[in-house]
Amino acid sequence: MATVFMKWLERRPADYDRGIRLLTLGRLEAMQHLIVEELVEQGMRVLEVGCGTGALTAAMAKAGANVSAIDISPGMLAEASRRIKKEDVEEHVDLQRMDAVMIDELFEPHSFDLIVSSLALSEMSERGRRYLLKSVRKLLTPDGKLAVLDEVRPTSGGSRLLFTLVRAPLQLLTWLLTRTTTHPLTNFEGVLTNSGFDWDLLSTEMAGSLRLYLATPVEQDESDRKPEMFRGRLNGARTLRTVLIDLWASLFRILPPYPQVKPGVYAVGEPGRDSPLLVTGNFELTVRRLVRAIEGELDAWILVVDSGGINVWCAAGGGFLTADKIIGALHISGLSEVLHHHALILPQLCANGVEGWRIREQTGWGVHWGPARAVDIPEYLARGRKKSDAMRWVTFPLRDRLEMTAVTLGFYALLILIPIAIFWRSIFWPTLIAMAALSAFYAVTLPWLPGRDGLAKSLPLALIALVGMLVYSTIWDPASIDVLFARAIGITALSVFIAAELQGMSPLMRGEQANWGWEAVIGGFLGLTYWLVPNLMGWR
Amino acid sequence: MSEGPNLGSLLAEHWHLARKLRSLEIHFAPERCKGLWQCYEVCPVGCWTPDYDVRCVVFRHGERCIACGACVLQCPERAIELR
Repeated sequence: MATVFMKWLERRPADYDRGIRLLTLGRLEAMQHLIVEELVEQGMRVLEVGCGTGALTAAMAKAGANVSAIDISPGMLAEASRRIKKEDVEEHVDLQRMDAVMIDELFEPHSFDLIVSSLALSEMSERGRRYLLKSVRKLLTPDGKLAVLDEVRPTSGGSRLLFTLVRAPLQLLTWLLTRTTTHPLTNFEGVLTNSGFDWDLLSTEMAGSLRLYLATPVEQDESDRKPEMFRGRLNGARTLRTVLIDLWASLFRILPPYPQVKPGVYAVGEPGRDSPLLVTGNFELTVRRLVRAIEGELDAWILVVDSGGINVWCAAGGGFLTADKIIGALHISGLSEVLHHHALILPQLCANGVEGWRIREQTGWGVHWGPARAVDIPEYLARGRKKSDAMRWVTFPLRDRLEMTAVTLGFYALLILIPIAIFWRSIFWPTLIAMAALSAFYAVTLPWLPGRDGLAKSLPLALIALVGMLVYSTIWDPASIDVLFARAIGITALSVFIAAELQGMSPLMRGEQANWGWEAVIGGFLGLTYWLVPNLMGWR
Repeated sequence: MSEGPNLGSLLAEHWHLARKLRSLEIHFAPERCKGLWQCYEVCPVGCWTPDYDVRCVVFRHGERCIACGACVLQCPERAIELR
């Protein structure tokens, strides 16, 4: 609560202390007194971060400490300077104006026995706070301590509700008056622990919302250090969720929303400071395949970059995965502080949209093009980041063809089967069966059908399908000439659509997207024939 | 009517782009090549072959090219063009 009014009070530094005393019912003073009594000793070197009007500064100097005090507000520093003169402790106090995050630049390592902060950390951003705590570790002497006196958001449900209810109108008022808002510390204890401190609660006041922490740096096991944007460990385990997502994606992959992984740093296995770093996009299937490819084979870090939930090849080609996105993700990842090496392994198939040399230039990291397929990564690394041509070249093997067949089937189910189910129910099952059988047949025989692209291959496919249809119609289901004709038109149309589309699902297409124009023309022609011929022949 | 591109013009644009993709060809200036092998590293269809003796790549299998543009993008010497 106090800090809400503090923002307003800050405008008039001279009245600040009176206001704070009122707002904290004098408890803040008592807690500052505790700091001086319990922690400050004669001749101690103390750094005060955010000294404000210098009340605590002067008290600590009076107790015999040599105090370096910083604040970012010139008004506050002027008031502090006046007070220090008045209290006659000038030779024991060094006042400086600076942002708290700059202390590691301006003071030598291990130069303070005590670092103190009173109602200042809550004024900083979360990132600033984490950075400051890291600097504090550097600046403290081996036996040094950190004392933090600040406003804290309660963690338990009831007191948190009360805190919020009381605080909301004050927050609104502060915002109206000053257009700013304050941020009582949230989960500060967790931040302290994560930043490498052991801590005790020396004193609490104001129903637990005003707290005095005493923290000491603990030896950090540097080999176990995690990067800033670390999000956790990934494994390739099959759960109900992954099975459902895979099922959905195997039919309707091209429909958004795409299943996504939160961008950030992940671990596979138990990576250490020398483990390789693999970059990928945030399409969930991509990440899962990568994890399954390397799990058990090696320990690695994975930097998942936001690619809009799209696979790396399409995302890079479409401008969703770019060099700048990777540079940005790497910058905030905190990986450069954790890893001994500076080598990025990019998926080869994002090279159509990510300039490797630009990442190299801007970050200084080495950029290495990994293999085209994730399954080759263990071997690629075992060879010392060397690829064979087979690892470099993209193929469209049967497994992938069948997978993509399912995707096209899902797409056509929506496009063709739903209208048929509504308007032409009698041919629904024959169409579905013909479609599935043709797709599967096409997927298997694709490499042996003549022609380079799918549209050309649709001709032999249609011929084979027509023969198959005739055999079926002769042996199992003899039909009149007009029914045979209708079947021929239908099977030809399906052949063309299926053949032209499936190749477009391979990474090897080259402008096959233009085929849809021809598909439309052929479709129109077949439709016209279907309508015209029976009339001309007098079948209807 | 609503403003902005309609479905027809979107499809037309898509079609033209796809058609253009088919006519694009690789133009390689070997005198600029410094033998960094980036095109060779990233080409998914094996168009490029390194000639280690003269530290220069050879555009050997043009017929395989899918005009993905990866080699163009990765060459810091701008020795490759797709037009």
